[in-house]
Amino acid sequence: MIKLENINKTYFGAQPLHVLKGINLEVGEGELVSIMGASGSGKSTLLNILGILDNYDEGDYYLAGKLVKNLSENQAAEFRNKLIGFIFQSFNLIPFKTALENVALPLFYQGVNRKKRNTMAMEYLERFGLKEWADHYPNELSGGQKQRVSIARALVTSPKIILADEPTGALDSKTSAEVMQILRDVNATGITMVIVTHERGIANLTRKIVYLKDGVIESISENDPNKMDFTKEIK
Amino acid sequence: MFNRDFWSEIFMALRRNKLRTILTGFAISWGIFMLIILLSAGNGLKNGVTSNFADRIKNTYTIWSSSTELPYKGHKAGRFIMLNNKDVQLIESLHQVDEVSPVLSKGGTIVFGEKSRSVEMNGVKPIYKNIDGIKILEGRFINENDMKNKMKVVVLDKNSNDELLRTTGETSLIGKTVYINGLSFTVIGVSKGMAFGEMGQCYAPYSTLKIVFNVNEFYQLSFTTKGLNTENDNELFKTELKRKLAALHEFSPEDKRGVWINSQMLDSLETMRIFNTINIFIWVIGIAMLISGVVGVSNIMRITVKERTNEIGIRKALGAKPRSILLSIVMESLVITTIFGYIGMICGIGVMELVNMVLESSGNMSDSNGMSVFMNPTVDISIVISATLVLIISGVAAGFAPAWKSVKVKPIEAMNYR
Repeated sequence: MIKLENINKTYFGAQPLHVLKGINLEVGEGELVSIMGASGSGKSTLLNILGILDNYDEGDYYLAGKLVKNLSENQAAEFRNKLIGFIFQSFNLIPFKTALENVALPLFYQGVNRKKRNTMAMEYLERFGLKEWADHYPNELSGGQKQRVSIARALVTSPKIILADEPTGALDSKTSAEVMQILRDVNATGITMVIVTHERGIANLTRKIVYLKDGVIESISENDPNKMDFTKEIK
Repeated sequence: MFNRDFWSEIFMALRRNKLRTILTGFAISWGIFMLIILLSAGNGLKNGVTSNFADRIKNTYTIWSSSTELPYKGHKAGRFIMLNNKDVQLIESLHQVDEVSPVLSKGGTIVFGEKSRSVEMNGVKPIYKNIDGIKILEGRFINENDMKNKMKVVVLDKNSNDELLRTTGETSLIGKTVYINGLSFTVIGVSKGMAFGEMGQCYAPYSTLKIVFNVNEFYQLSFTTKGLNTENDNELFKTELKRKLAALHEFSPEDKRGVWINSQMLDSLETMRIFNTINIFIWVIGIAMLISGVVGVSNIMRITVKERTNEIGIRKALGAKPRSILLSIVMESLVITTIFGYIGMICGIGVMELVNMVLESSGNMSDSNGMSVFMNPTVDISIVISATLVLIISGVAAGFAPAWKSVKVKPIEAMNYR
């Protein structure tokens, strides 16, 4: 599903910063992968590149068999819209839109008509127990509700891959566990998922853990989430 | 693309920032409003002032007597040149001249019954009605028959007419006999009276006044011309005439004074030039106002885009194409300029129509001498519409620059923008 070959990325600021120094990584279809690392290790940058939210300087990135390189804005938008679902630490919901409108937005960009859009968005909200909150604005929702709305939004287009950047970073441990359970359930339906986190407890709930340090992959370890007692691990 | 969702997105964005939308809109409305007011006022002034000359025929000249400025051939400077019959003959001999009317002026007192009034009597020929654009309100002006038979008839100005009629119980003086400096005259008409001074201007046949008042010299001589169609023709004729009159009255052809020669055509060209200058001035101000409106829109759009950077980033991450973002911002700016431009246009036209209505119901605005200075203050609707269109197009351009910038920024940078 994802294939990275020698990805390099440098931020050219006052002090050029070489954040990714030749990343090689493959993620198969239906995998649940976490990327771990200290802050500054480049894990967020890597996720942004995977999500085509940022570009890279060197190497090749194949997404669902297609080379993602020097895409036009239109092509990138199409890739993001059709293939990728995003879940962010700060939710990134549009504040002046209701939960339903937020979930329906990616469908708007696919040209789905209003009625169908709202029906589909409502289905996803219902799936995550948010039917009663459909007409509420993000500032009227709790953190966990907001994250569930954004998961619904990520899934509404039936993407091939979900990219989650610290999905539990702004949530308490109980809500974190709930959200992780949802993400694992989603993964169980066959959707590839890449989660960036710095919490070991979260990473332990994934099947493959990629350790990133100073812009290189330090190690990749297989993991069996069912062995772990995650309620203990998440602090 | 331009479906209900698209528009609801735009109006939602505008509603979210009511104050900002209204302030920007106000700048635009004000620009258009003031442009219309200025242009209309300019037109009103022009219409008002030119209406004073509207009834005068263009191809006329008037010569005024004056005093010399330079000594010449033994004559001292400051000699006053009076016009006489020789001037009439000289002018009649010129092939460019059509009809001549001397204006023989004399102060007089008109008496009707118990009433009396001081007026200026003017002995003129029938053509003078056209030359001076005299409006007859009642009766008629002097005709050829009056001239030929030296009839003792008089055309009163309206003020004198009203003054003499007052408290007499009569409704009209036409056909009545009045006494001017003791001599009986029959009133044949009442003119509107272009009262350039306090004194009423009354008209009698030139031939009559010449005899009854025994005057052979006069201050003013008017005539119509033929074949002088261009500004250049008139300038040449004027110079030639001045030279001839100088020779006749023995004053220096270099003398700027001696006699004044006044060409109606050259005068009106001069007037038009003044109004063109005023017009240019008004346009400059108006356009400056439009520009300030456009700058306002551009600024607001820049701020709007900046504030919405995060939102734009999120939309991009969700698959918004550059075109959709560009369009929504540009259309937002277009909607503001169109709606408020239209409001400004309607208000401007409304106010000027109201002013026009008030003016028409109360008579046009005029100065103390009865000269119109303001009339029909309207502006060509096509100019208004094109000004509004210019503003709308500028509004689009104003929105385009920041929109383009926001499209170019990477989605992750936009999302992380604080």
